[in-house]
Amino acid sequence: MPIRSAAMVAAMRQTILAVAAAGVFLLAFSARPPGTASAGADCDRACLNGIMEQYLAAMVAYDPSKLPVAKNLKFTEDGVRLGLGDGLWATASSIGNYKLYFDEPEAGEVGVYTVVQENGAGVFLYARVKVVDRKITEIETLVARKQTTSILNTDNLTQVRPIFLETIPAADRPSRAEMVSMVGKYFDGIEQGNGDIVPFDKDCVRIENGIQTCPGSPTSPLGALSCGAQLSTKIFTYIQSVSPRRFPIVDRERGLVLAAVRFNHPATQQTVDVPGRGEMTMGKYSQWPNSTQIAELFKIKDRKIKEITAVIVAQPYKMPTGWE
Amino acid sequence: MRHKILFVVTVAGFFFAVMFVPAAPLQASPSAAQAAASSPCDRSCLNGFVDQYIDALVAHDPSRLVVTKFVKYTENGQHIELGDGFWRTATGKGGYKFYVDDPEAGQVGFEGTMQEAGHPVIVALRLKIENQKISEIETIVARGGMAEGGAANLDKLAKPRAGFEEEIPAAERLSRLDLIRTANQYFSGMQKDDGKGDYSFFGDDCNRLENGMQTTNNMTPMGGMTSNGAPRPAPSAKYDPSTNPTSYSAGWSCRDQFRSGLLHFVSLIRDRRYPIVDQEHGIVWAFGFFDHQAGDTRNFETPDGRPVTAGPTTPFTWEIAEIFKVRHGQLHEIEAALTQGSYGMCSGWSSYEQCRSDQPQW
Repeated sequence: MPIRSAAMVAAMRQTILAVAAAGVFLLAFSARPPGTASAGADCDRACLNGIMEQYLAAMVAYDPSKLPVAKNLKFTEDGVRLGLGDGLWATASSIGNYKLYFDEPEAGEVGVYTVVQENGAGVFLYARVKVVDRKITEIETLVARKQTTSILNTDNLTQVRPIFLETIPAADRPSRAEMVSMVGKYFDGIEQGNGDIVPFDKDCVRIENGIQTCPGSPTSPLGALSCGAQLSTKIFTYIQSVSPRRFPIVDRERGLVLAAVRFNHPATQQTVDVPGRGEMTMGKYSQWPNSTQIAELFKIKDRKIKEITAVIVAQPYKMPTGWE
Repeated sequence: MRHKILFVVTVAGFFFAVMFVPAAPLQASPSAAQAAASSPCDRSCLNGFVDQYIDALVAHDPSRLVVTKFVKYTENGQHIELGDGFWRTATGKGGYKFYVDDPEAGQVGFEGTMQEAGHPVIVALRLKIENQKISEIETIVARGGMAEGGAANLDKLAKPRAGFEEEIPAAERLSRLDLIRTANQYFSGMQKDDGKGDYSFFGDDCNRLENGMQTTNNMTPMGGMTSNGAPRPAPSAKYDPSTNPTSYSAGWSCRDQFRSGLLHFVSLIRDRRYPIVDQEHGIVWAFGFFDHQAGDTRNFETPDGRPVTAGPTTPFTWEIAEIFKVRHGQLHEIEAALTQGSYGMCSGWSSYEQCRSDQPQW
């Protein structure tokens, strides 16, 4: 699409200029993925979080003019490129106390999960902001609403679970690539129906749209299975592929990886044979072709996935995320 | 359906609908003529391509189709591989078939019922034929609760309503552009409906089916569909402003739904495309998106000044294929297949600027 291409070219130019201006940093960052080098070198964690705070405040005030945005800003909500001021901007009335921040200052990236009130109902927001020269160049958001997802409970989202805030000792921090690789194995495990290949901590907890989905409830059809054991039941066979996959924010200090992915559900199979349990129905997402866009945050500690939380939004089948 | 979305024009919108004409006819006619010259495919030829397509779809075998090298396939607005999506899940044909032919443009539309994994769905299909090959395939598949009941209604009909099938006498046929312009008044009238427009473009007998559900002049409460936060009132006999209604009713006429001003929450009808026009039958096939911004457009005044809050509570978009019958310059039969999309999404068939615009494309 012409405008998208133009914006991308412009954004690239801006990145190139920023990199050139950074001069001596070039070599130091040369091993990093393209596009992330030095983007936010002058904006540390507090600076990034402050800009995200400004974003949330401007949204509730319905006043985009309060934001320091770059000329070629790109904004998406649920994968759709919108004008700043549209979407949740037009409906948000307040922000809840639950605010889970994660940062990658080297890349100028900050993300947040928070609860927003929209016409009297709670919605679960993931927002990612990229900052270049103290201006916002990218805003990616997903908004889980009762109308657009199969599960949501924002009442559970009052306080950030402490483990997400824990700092990993400097000597124990895996590299960015290692952290991304560990998370990639989680998505491989979903595709393959094999929890054994995923570096799960044995007590790993996953909370999706505010609802704990592993370990399962003892009263659920599968019982109180661990995250890994759940995958191995093949009950997620309806997720044919996890693609595309992006890892825009890796917060090594806190051991956090933000994965932005799409689950593809072609709905060619509605039931699956679960070892030891027999044939089981796989649920809503296996009824007809559809996809979900997911912003999923992983806590990695002691080189294990300790905790997962996600914002999930249902989408038309294979709808682009807007960022590939 | 909450989407019910219907009409009325803001003064600006209506003015726009009347004014958009220039230049376009000059663009539309040559392209249609070119298509006809390079790929003669008459009505039966076009319908034959549809039938082949449906057969191949049910067989899950796109190799049965004769397609151009760069054939493009979209399903519910997403550009995916031919053979993916509904191609893997369609399990049978349905009983309702409605063809709209445009030999001049080499395009055909089809609205019909089908089966997917044993469930009824409603399908809107557009094919473009070039040199006896399919070059474009655009589909909307309406599924789930909002389609199943309506699909049963359509199956009972089996064929389009009589009004759609009626030929327009040659001397009374409107130009392609005038047909499109008439249909476009519907969208302009519904967008931010204020009840103050000129709705004489509706025939007195206008009636509308949306996903097979009759959503005008319907005194039987609809079942099987849930609204996305918008109230669905019990049908009332007639629009009567003195009763101070706060939401429009499926029991009202096409014109009265617009006159009520209660469709204001349809904040933007954009990416309006008119790829198929059947002058012989006075039929226009449109694609578009109905946005419900869910912010300040939920709060508005009726024509008599009463404040009302209505419409979806979250940003919400319908992706729609809508078929209009035009006789004597008025809309009579209206029929739509629609599915919930992501708010603000695009069709895959127009530029980003066109996707965001409420200006008609043809």
